[in-house]
Amino acid sequence: MIEGQHDIALPVRYSGLDDILRRVPVSVVWEITLACDLACTHCGSRAGRRRRDELSTEEALDLVDQIAELGARSVGLIGGEAYLRKDWLQIIAAIRARGMECDLQTGGRNLSDARVAQAAAAGLNAVGISIDGIGATHDRLRGVIGSFEMALTAMANVRRHGLEVGVNTQINAHTLPELRTLMDIIIDAGCHNWQLAITTAMGNAADHPDMLLQPWQMLDVMPLLAELAVEGRERGLFIQPASNIGYFGPHESALRNVMNDEIHFHGCNAGDTVMGIEADGTIKSCPGLPSPYAGGNIRARRLRDIWENAEPIAFNRRRTVDDLWGYCRGCYYAETCLAGCTWTAHALMGRAGNNPMCHHRALDFAARGLRERLVKVKDADGRSFDHGEFAIVVEAAMPAVLADA
Amino acid sequence: MPEPGRIPVPLRLCRGCRRFVRIEHADCDFCGGDLAALEAAHAESAAAVRAATAELRTAMGRLLGLP
Repeated sequence: MIEGQHDIALPVRYSGLDDILRRVPVSVVWEITLACDLACTHCGSRAGRRRRDELSTEEALDLVDQIAELGARSVGLIGGEAYLRKDWLQIIAAIRARGMECDLQTGGRNLSDARVAQAAAAGLNAVGISIDGIGATHDRLRGVIGSFEMALTAMANVRRHGLEVGVNTQINAHTLPELRTLMDIIIDAGCHNWQLAITTAMGNAADHPDMLLQPWQMLDVMPLLAELAVEGRERGLFIQPASNIGYFGPHESALRNVMNDEIHFHGCNAGDTVMGIEADGTIKSCPGLPSPYAGGNIRARRLRDIWENAEPIAFNRRRTVDDLWGYCRGCYYAETCLAGCTWTAHALMGRAGNNPMCHHRALDFAARGLRERLVKVKDADGRSFDHGEFAIVVEAAMPAVLADA
Repeated sequence: MPEPGRIPVPLRLCRGCRRFVRIEHADCDFCGGDLAALEAAHAESAAAVRAATAELRTAMGRLLGLP
């Protein structure tokens, strides 16, 4: 290999057309407990205490079998903090025994060397560690002083035991200015995968509207991310934008290029190749979606029955341009995009089908000397995966914004 | 067999302005470029880069004494 170049393999959770046609839940994201040792100001599930009726070990292991029967290739364990569940190693071992890859997404506060060693022995493939900004920014967002250093220590622990280490970062008003420097830090720490997502107005984040990006900030976000993606690839870091980052501006190709610059966003894939599971056995099409999207509970129905027949998780294959509203209804990209991330749109607007967090849309408004601003009009009620509601104000763009656009 | 998922509606990359456009269109809806001509020019340029890279790799191999 020529020095400075790196092989990049696609993660198994990437889905293809055959997966869509057979509707294989390629990637399952499973909240195995809501217990958490951090207190994140943006946490969508408002994690902290366990859910009252989390699955027993026996139920969890049976669920692993049911997930495998559907053909899943990757199971991501999340929380809360997954390692706070006493049987988390048993669950990892069961997932691996059924031939699926298993990764852990963690805040890393107490991901000690001993815990990583146990997880590696159980068969864990990879660990994604949440790092939101640098130092005090991360500590403030994660609600624990010192948690940034703890996350870096956790990364080192993971690498020491030979597991693949990735980083997950929230993009919001606090972290956006620090992304470039953070990229340098995580590359130096041995990270090869960086998952980025825009902070969604759900749970605790809905209570902190000052933290949320405004739609017009996509004019800054997308060029920056595209630049980081290109630079990252040259330095061996593979940037994976979440479904809520986009869509279709001039940087789309640079941002999503995975060895093919013709790859573009294809719309939300919740319920087609992605499945979310809550700690009490509730099945959703995406881990972040609120309760109206719950398809059922594995205590009442078999997983296959829910996956194949529950209408609340079938919205993607039912959705057409006629279901869109607002700007998205008449958008050039409507047929392909279908309003982007369902989770983001629903959390902001109270229903899916109109998503203001979009680069193409921000460019279109800027070209007319306008911009969209979100104003909170309804509070969230304080439950896990709840959301408030925002109104869109269209106003004259600031001169600086016009110049940047 | 479960009901199939939603089949994505593909778009085509304009090699002029890097916007994605509808595949049935001949000209880019954003920059007005001739999509086929831009694609042909891009393919020619990409082939030249590939050829140069192969030559460089061979030359480096010779310098380093690799088979």
